[in-house]
Amino acid sequence: MWLNDFHDETPPIPPTPRPGWRWALTLPPALLMLLVLMSLIWLPWRAQKLESDERQEQLIADTLWVEQGLRLQLARNEDELRQLAIEILAGRLTPLDLRLRSASLLGKNPEIVRLEWLDVNSQILAATDEPAEGPTSLPARSITAATSARIAGTPRYSTPAAPPDWQTPPRMTYHVPLMDGKRYLGSLVVTYSMTTILDAMVPWWFAHENEITLTGIDDNVLVRRTAGGPGRGVYVHAHALDLPGANLTLRTNSLKFAPKLLPNLLIGLVLALTLALLASLVALWRDIKRRLEVESALRQQVSFRTAMENSLVTGLRARDLGGTVTYVNPAFCQMVGTQAEDLIGRLPPMPYWAPEAAAEYQKRLSQVLAGTITPQGFETIFQRASGKRFPVLIFESPLLDESGRQTGWMGSILDISERKQIEDLNRLQQEKLASSARLASMGEIASTLAHELNQPLAAISSYTTGALNLLACSDANAKVDAASLRLALERANAQAQRAGQIIRSVHAFVKQREPAREPVAMQVLIDGIVPLIELQAHKFFVGLYVNIAPGLPPVLADRVLIEQVLLNLTRNAIEAMETTAPQDRILQIDAWRTAAVATTQDGDTDSSSGSNLAQPVRIAVIDRGHGIAPEINDRLFSSFFSTKAEGMGMGLNICRTAIEFHGGQLTSSANPKGGTIFEFSLPVALPALPYTPAKSVH
Amino acid sequence: MLHIVDDEEVIRDSLTWLASTRNIAARAYGDGAAFLASIHAGPTFAVDGDCVLLDVRMPSLSGAALFDELTSRGLTARLPVIFLTGHGDVPMAVDTLKRGAFDFFEKPFNDNNLMDRVLEALEASRQAGAAAAVGLRLATLSQREKEVMGLILEGNMNKVIADKLGISMRTVEVHRAHIFDKMTVKTAVELARLLK
Repeated sequence: MWLNDFHDETPPIPPTPRPGWRWALTLPPALLMLLVLMSLIWLPWRAQKLESDERQEQLIADTLWVEQGLRLQLARNEDELRQLAIEILAGRLTPLDLRLRSASLLGKNPEIVRLEWLDVNSQILAATDEPAEGPTSLPARSITAATSARIAGTPRYSTPAAPPDWQTPPRMTYHVPLMDGKRYLGSLVVTYSMTTILDAMVPWWFAHENEITLTGIDDNVLVRRTAGGPGRGVYVHAHALDLPGANLTLRTNSLKFAPKLLPNLLIGLVLALTLALLASLVALWRDIKRRLEVESALRQQVSFRTAMENSLVTGLRARDLGGTVTYVNPAFCQMVGTQAEDLIGRLPPMPYWAPEAAAEYQKRLSQVLAGTITPQGFETIFQRASGKRFPVLIFESPLLDESGRQTGWMGSILDISERKQIEDLNRLQQEKLASSARLASMGEIASTLAHELNQPLAAISSYTTGALNLLACSDANAKVDAASLRLALERANAQAQRAGQIIRSVHAFVKQREPAREPVAMQVLIDGIVPLIELQAHKFFVGLYVNIAPGLPPVLADRVLIEQVLLNLTRNAIEAMETTAPQDRILQIDAWRTAAVATTQDGDTDSSSGSNLAQPVRIAVIDRGHGIAPEINDRLFSSFFSTKAEGMGMGLNICRTAIEFHGGQLTSSANPKGGTIFEFSLPVALPALPYTPAKSVH
Repeated sequence: MLHIVDDEEVIRDSLTWLASTRNIAARAYGDGAAFLASIHAGPTFAVDGDCVLLDVRMPSLSGAALFDELTSRGLTARLPVIFLTGHGDVPMAVDTLKRGAFDFFEKPFNDNNLMDRVLEALEASRQAGAAAAVGLRLATLSQREKEVMGLILEGNMNKVIADKLGISMRTVEVHRAHIFDKMTVKTAVELARLLK
């Protein structure tokens, strides 16, 4: 059936991944992150290492190249000197020639400070500068080198040393022995300026990038070239200058710093980008996580709301400001028996509107749209798809969006047919109850009637049976006691009359005769029974006082019943005063009307004004008798209860029923002066007839 | 004598008149107290029988209460009580019937049936009264006289009685005379009828 269809409307909720699976999903990104981090650390390190190695190698290569250059230059000089030595030995050179030749040599080679030709006795034969003659002034180390060169017969270098007369820098000498066979003829000595060696022989660009030093045997610095400043000590290289006789080491110390961790922009950029990427990834991940949480909460909320809506028995209907239905819940659909799709988006008239109430709906709708409705619900009827009508209770309230702007109206619709049914049932039951109460009352009356009738009937039966007995006897004796017979028959007749009276008095209750109530003036009503009351009152020496307020409107009453009630009450009152002192035996009948409500603007009480019409006429029967004992007060009005020796306990019961029949209530209260007050009210006959007030009667 | 106890005057009056048409002497009482007072004032019941017609529902002393009072005084044997009940009093009347009431009539009743039953009650009362009188007379007999009377009622001759009791004929004759005197009978046949 269509009923079930509504439950399928809910969008299916995607299954939430299981927690174990979800955890595994985070593993690859974590691994990737680790990898990236590792490579981020490794790559710069590796780059640094590579650069470092490269620089070191570069330095070594450069150093070697410089050393080669040095060696080559020195070797060229050695060759030049050897050539000179050969020419000297051949005798083709004079000291003058040498001077000339050496001058050109010095000119070509700035590193050569001096060239000397020494004879066997180390006397200068020729020199490139002064002193051109005399013993050589070579330092001690140079002399040692010269000696060893003479002994070995091969050229030798001396260990560089500062000449005693020269300030700086240290100098190095090269001794070429002039050997003629085994015979030492002298030697050629070249003095190199160590400083100039470095300045001239090392290329400027190299010197600019490196600190270059030449060290001796014990690593003492002989000469240093720091064109670009002192070396950093990061990239250093030492290479021995393999010179015969001299132990020199060429040391280079690069000016370059150790490569930084982020030596170049690219890696830094990549790193920064990667970090930014990671950061954004983390942010993204956190955002997704938050989104997932919110989504889950939202899903829960939605399913909760959907379940709530589906389980609601109250119909919900949302309308926009134009009256178009924008939402209905399943309960509403079920209520009106229509699918949600057939309702949503529709403009009035709606399919659930009962045609006969369409005008009311339209009026209501315009009220709703105008915003002039009250939050209290209103009742109307709706129509099911089957055409069946059912009562509903509707509450309308404005739909507000987040900014508090009204977007439409939300209506809650309650199907109150069950409530109505219950109300109807209740009413029916109450009617039944009332009817059974009436029945019970009827039963009571019937029982009372039977009891009351039994007495006269029994008496009649006895009298007539006796009469028959007498006649039977008389037949035999041929003599009839007429007087005795008449007495019996008269008495039987009286009892039959009594029975008829009872029947008549009860008739009123049994027949429920509404039409018997007619307007009657209180004065007329009481005047009618005053003689009867007085008859009894005289017997008991009771004074009767009747006070009827002037201007009383006629009451709507069954005259006979009210007369009975008054007679009953007065009889009780008179009998109650049997033991009262004669001067206090006063029976009082009051009739008045409470006029407290109706006070006109003039301040006069106006008993005929409309607001006072509903005010009943009150009648009180007041005696000064023995009063009513509190213990019997409760049973006063119940049937078969009597304080009198001959009472049947029906009088007050009947009186009360009669008064209640007139919509009033019979109450008793103690008279402050002693005795009892019985009081009841009678409705005023409407519309108020003009009435002439009568004088009070004693 | 028929005693009518009813709070309703017309009932008292009509029943008294009805009884008179059946030649039954009747006396009416307005309530139970008046009836009890009359019992106090008067002597024991007449030998020709008494009976009470009692209304169940009466103010002050109800019929049932009055019946209980009579029972407690041990009078119900010689004073049969017929209850008159109105509507709805039947269970109470049945209850009193179980406790020894003579009968009960529900209003309205067939008056001559009631009177017939009254007559029966009067007869029963009379018999009960007689039996009570015999009992009183028997109580005056001595043990020996009772033995002798038993043998007389068996139809034995004086001689046989004398032999059986081991006494002289003369003594038997004296006992017999005493017995007849005390039981106020003249012959053995009369005695037998009295003790029947």
